[in-house]
Amino acid sequence: MKRDRELCLGVECAWPEAQSGSAATLRRRGAGRLQLILVALLLALGGWQFARGAWIQAKAWLAQVLIAQAWQRALAGERNAKPWAWADTWPVARLSIPSLGIERYVLEGSDGAALAFGPGHLRGTALPGEGGNSVIGGHRDTHLAFLRALRAGDEIVVETRDGRRLRYVVRDARVLDRRDLWIAGQEGPARLTLVTCYPFDALRAGGAQRYVVSAYAIDELKNRGGERADRTSHLL
Amino acid sequence: MKKTGKRSLAGKIALDMIVFVALAVAMGVAAGVALAGLTLVFASQAAAAEAPQQGTLLLRPRAAGEALNAPLLSTAVAFQVSGMVARAHVVQTFRNPGDDWYEGVYVFPLPENAAVDRLRLRIGERTIEGEIQERATAQRTYAAARAQGSRAVLMDQERPNIFTTRVANIGPRETIVVELEYQETLRYQDGRFSLRFPMVVGPRYIPHGVTDAARITPPVLRPQEGHAPVNPVSIRVQLDAGVPLDEVSSPFHQVDIKTLGEGRREITLAEGNTPANRDFVLRWAPRRAAAPQLAWFTEKQGERYYALLMLMPPAPASGTRLPREVIFVLDTSGSMAGASIRQAREALVLALERLGPQDRFNVIEFNSTARALFSAAREASGAQVRRAIDWVRGLEARGGTEMSAALQLALTGQDRSAGVRQVIFLTDGAVGNEEELFRLIHDRLGDSRLFTVGIGSAPNSHFMRNAAELGRGTFTYIGRIDEVGDRMVELFAKLEAPVLKGVTLQWPDAAHAESWPARIPDLYAGEPLVVSAALEQLTGELRISGLRAGRVWEGRVPLSTGQSGAGMASLWARAKVASLMNSLREGAPSDAVRGQVIALASAHRLVTRYTSFVAVERAPARPPEARLERAEMPTNLPEGWEYEKVFGELPQGATDSRFALLTGLACLLLAAALFQWQRRLA
Repeated sequence: MKRDRELCLGVECAWPEAQSGSAATLRRRGAGRLQLILVALLLALGGWQFARGAWIQAKAWLAQVLIAQAWQRALAGERNAKPWAWADTWPVARLSIPSLGIERYVLEGSDGAALAFGPGHLRGTALPGEGGNSVIGGHRDTHLAFLRALRAGDEIVVETRDGRRLRYVVRDARVLDRRDLWIAGQEGPARLTLVTCYPFDALRAGGAQRYVVSAYAIDELKNRGGERADRTSHLL
Repeated sequence: MKKTGKRSLAGKIALDMIVFVALAVAMGVAAGVALAGLTLVFASQAAAAEAPQQGTLLLRPRAAGEALNAPLLSTAVAFQVSGMVARAHVVQTFRNPGDDWYEGVYVFPLPENAAVDRLRLRIGERTIEGEIQERATAQRTYAAARAQGSRAVLMDQERPNIFTTRVANIGPRETIVVELEYQETLRYQDGRFSLRFPMVVGPRYIPHGVTDAARITPPVLRPQEGHAPVNPVSIRVQLDAGVPLDEVSSPFHQVDIKTLGEGRREITLAEGNTPANRDFVLRWAPRRAAAPQLAWFTEKQGERYYALLMLMPPAPASGTRLPREVIFVLDTSGSMAGASIRQAREALVLALERLGPQDRFNVIEFNSTARALFSAAREASGAQVRRAIDWVRGLEARGGTEMSAALQLALTGQDRSAGVRQVIFLTDGAVGNEEELFRLIHDRLGDSRLFTVGIGSAPNSHFMRNAAELGRGTFTYIGRIDEVGDRMVELFAKLEAPVLKGVTLQWPDAAHAESWPARIPDLYAGEPLVVSAALEQLTGELRISGLRAGRVWEGRVPLSTGQSGAGMASLWARAKVASLMNSLREGAPSDAVRGQVIALASAHRLVTRYTSFVAVERAPARPPEARLERAEMPTNLPEGWEYEKVFGELPQGATDSRFALLTGLACLLLAAALFQWQRRLA
């Protein structure tokens, strides 16, 4: 500790000493100061970068907590229940993978603003439960990192806003170009299309490849079947 | 001793480093969490400003490997130009290279004022003449023929400049040819004639409430994927200008020009054909002394005479320039990405530089939402103009095309007593809700004037022309960056003031004339008056009057002096249909308009919104057991457009968080190492 203080003082009181010191000490002092500046710069840069990275992750997971509360309100009947007052997106479905113990709240919209907080539903495609193709995008390093672990035959359960619980089974996964929008086509059976960036281990965002998992609707969990029967009898 | 000292020193340094890094990491995490809270506030507020998109681009790109053996299409066009009228003969050839039976569907553009009056189906040596039927009837006729296996063709109009041909039962390895013909008046502006042949319907933004989206958005071939552009087009123009010619040029295609006489040329594409991915334009200028000031063509058909009048207004009277308020509106949607936005920015900067200190101005940009540079128009002082230029230079093209938001910002619907208010609208018009926009312009124009500037290789000419007409201004096209300068100078000459206002036509009573357009627009410098008329006799004279710089100006045309011209009847009927369709916007009863249009179209054999051409070969060709496949002819992306910016792409699936964390950590470690090293030196 003492040395530290000396060092600090040494830097501050460099002038008088430098006048009497040899050329070699002078050079060393100069180099030392330069190094200190370098250390400060590196610290600032490292701190900034690290904070940025941590903040992306923190935002992603904190938001899911707030969205979970909004989802409860949505289930209770609130339309477009916003997770925070000024949000321009809202949860539209809850995605869970029982075998992996994963649960995610899907937001409306798949622009960067929504994806920062949760997987996003691509506007213009069907919502789960509507039939057709529901396209959901998300980040490979936050909410959709689990796609990597999904295998054909795995089950996905989607809870819709009206409380139905739909079962899907993963059929295939493929790597596509980001412009392969045909995968978002609406024709064909009811299905989920989960999209994230590829390769999984790439460091930077902005690659051209996408990892796309297709899961097809099989049935609904029992509680809904009962509801449906109830509804029918009510109608009759 | 020395050894242990060294080891303890090394241990201490290592410990220091670990503590240092751990502290830094902890601080980073804390800062991250704190910042996350903050960004939850700020990031989403910024996002909220972008507002939810109301419409979407239709997702109709072609799937990989889809319908490999679908029919192939090629087009050959021959123009016969005489004076200021062109007759076009368009041949669409559908060739089926495979072993399946196909129905081919092709969505294609034609000039917005084209009067399509003939259609033929050609199978080998046999030719079947098409007939005009009401749209729904024609569709039933076609569907019945398709079902029973007969070869048939149906041609519908989706927009005044978008048409669809459907060809049913193209047999294995068979070629079926659809021939159509249309008549059009040429554009004569600033001393130059121009012939424009659009080749591709650019992908359009479809806002909410457009019901026929699928009919105006053909599938688009993704460029640079190993397949060459499709739909080759060959063009031949027989040009008979009727006056000695100064120059003939095709700004966007290489052409061979053969001189056949003083005013006659034959023009063909230098490379034989070109992929259908941008408008073909041919321009020619009559020699200065020979530039026509008046043209009067007549044709007798049945009991009536049909006529076309072109009159160049007198030269603009030089007067004092009124101070004006100019609102520039720039389309920065995805379809403008690439070459288009560069042209538009350049044009806008040029326009801003021409503002005088007495003028007021504002700039609005729009894509999914509209934003104005200033909250209200400001004086065009040097500093403000520079600020605007900087702002414009920084604009990028992406997102949707919510044009109505921009028009609402630009057109306030108010009348101002002092000065002139001009709205200059730079866009490619790639939208599917033209009608809604026209209505908006009609309702909110007030005493503003709207000038449209069409940008890019395949602008929506129907939108440009009609919007300018409703906005009582003019329209200008800029097809390439090196045209920007010339075209904007021409536009500015017009902006000063109309040369002739409040134009009225007085026909002799005995002629029982019916002329279109019903309301003559104000005429700007370099723009002629063009009128189509039907008359019972050609006696007496037509008197044209208007206000020129506050004084009455009058011109006279003796009706009997006309040159004879072919196709005047079709042009007249087409002009009347356009006027009738426009009257819908002003609240004319739709049933009455529909009835009138159908009667007119049946008499003159025209394709309109309510009538279609259909041709059917009687005998069935396809055996009942053979399946009929359906193929929508893919189209090219217009030249200079960027696929991703137009269609968007699959969601972006990654953040930079790992990269940031890793580089951050590396920097921190390096800092710690350096710090320790320095301590040892000191």
